[in-house]
Amino acid sequence: MNIAMVGRVSLEQAKSLVEFLETDQQDKADALIAEIQNPINSELFAEIGKLTRQLHDSLNNFQLDSRLNDLATADIPDAKERLNYVITRTEEAANKTMDVVESVFPVVDNLAERVRGVNPSWTKLMNNEIDLPEFKGLCVDIDALLIATGKETQHIHSLMTDVLMAQDFQDLTGQVIRKVIDLVREVEDSLINMLTAFGLSAEKPQENASPKVGDNLVEGPIVNKENRDDVVEDQDDVDDLLSSLGF
Amino acid sequence: MNVSPEGALDKNMKVLVVDDFSTMRRIVKNLLRDLGFTNIQEADDGSTALPMLQGGDFDFVVTDWNMPGMQGIDLLKAIRADASLAHIPVLLITAEAKKEQIIMAAQAGVNGYIVKPFTAGTLRTKLDKIFERLG
Repeated sequence: MNIAMVGRVSLEQAKSLVEFLETDQQDKADALIAEIQNPINSELFAEIGKLTRQLHDSLNNFQLDSRLNDLATADIPDAKERLNYVITRTEEAANKTMDVVESVFPVVDNLAERVRGVNPSWTKLMNNEIDLPEFKGLCVDIDALLIATGKETQHIHSLMTDVLMAQDFQDLTGQVIRKVIDLVREVEDSLINMLTAFGLSAEKPQENASPKVGDNLVEGPIVNKENRDDVVEDQDDVDDLLSSLGF
Repeated sequence: MNVSPEGALDKNMKVLVVDDFSTMRRIVKNLLRDLGFTNIQEADDGSTALPMLQGGDFDFVVTDWNMPGMQGIDLLKAIRADASLAHIPVLLITAEAKKEQIIMAAQAGVNGYIVKPFTAGTLRTKLDKIFERLG
């Protein structure tokens, strides 16, 4: 059908109409008349029909892609659990380490205090200024200090092993996070496929596309400082910025 | 403020440490204790901290920015807006590092801004500066 013609009916159409009528093909003649009367509508219907079929096929394809379903119902909940595991393990490690540090502080302070205690007598001894009773007292103090130091350093050594072992979270959380990164990549691919299927181009990112930030621009730790000029690099930058503002 | 042991600073000043992560509260508490502070309390976000501040005679607030519930910046604004609390110095220790945010905090009346990750030395320097300025 040629809708670009100037009049409402072409000579060709008129000839076909006469031919249909002369050869007793009433239904074809009626169809032709309908087409002549409503040329645009029939084109539109054909186009809508085509789109409907495409949409139907697209939806069917999505249903067929069971991976999407698995992603939403299994992999993503699993990833949430995994990330919670990371929080738990890193928190445990931090607390285990701080338990040790907090228990070592007073022990070290106590030893330092006792060393300070024997220091005056020891200095006298080294300068040959000590008398016998003080020397005897010093020997008793040093003896006690040696025993205490031996015991405490052994204790601290075993605590340090606990600190060492608390760092094993890095291996475990590293593996877990790597797996979550793989999942994020897969979800990203699926989303891009979906955008493409619906005719939205994922090829060209929007001009100033940036991740969502929360209230008060909250974003958390900046992991790509070197690619950004809206963030400070370190504490010196903070101090410079504040002093440039007169703070 | 002079934080050396023989300094004139009142080591009994009441400090409130606000952070949603207990490990960070613990780190800050340990560092403050190392500097001689003994009277330290904790809150896990702004909305817990504010009633504590209103109910007790705190002398100093160290707060994170990004917390569920009430954020540190909003806590700072609430402190400055409350006549009975407005005088309390506030130190932000945060991972938030956008220049716009630092300016926002300065305009809201923050006394110090430390960006994470930070060191014990940085904390000490900032405390010195804050209390030196307050005289």
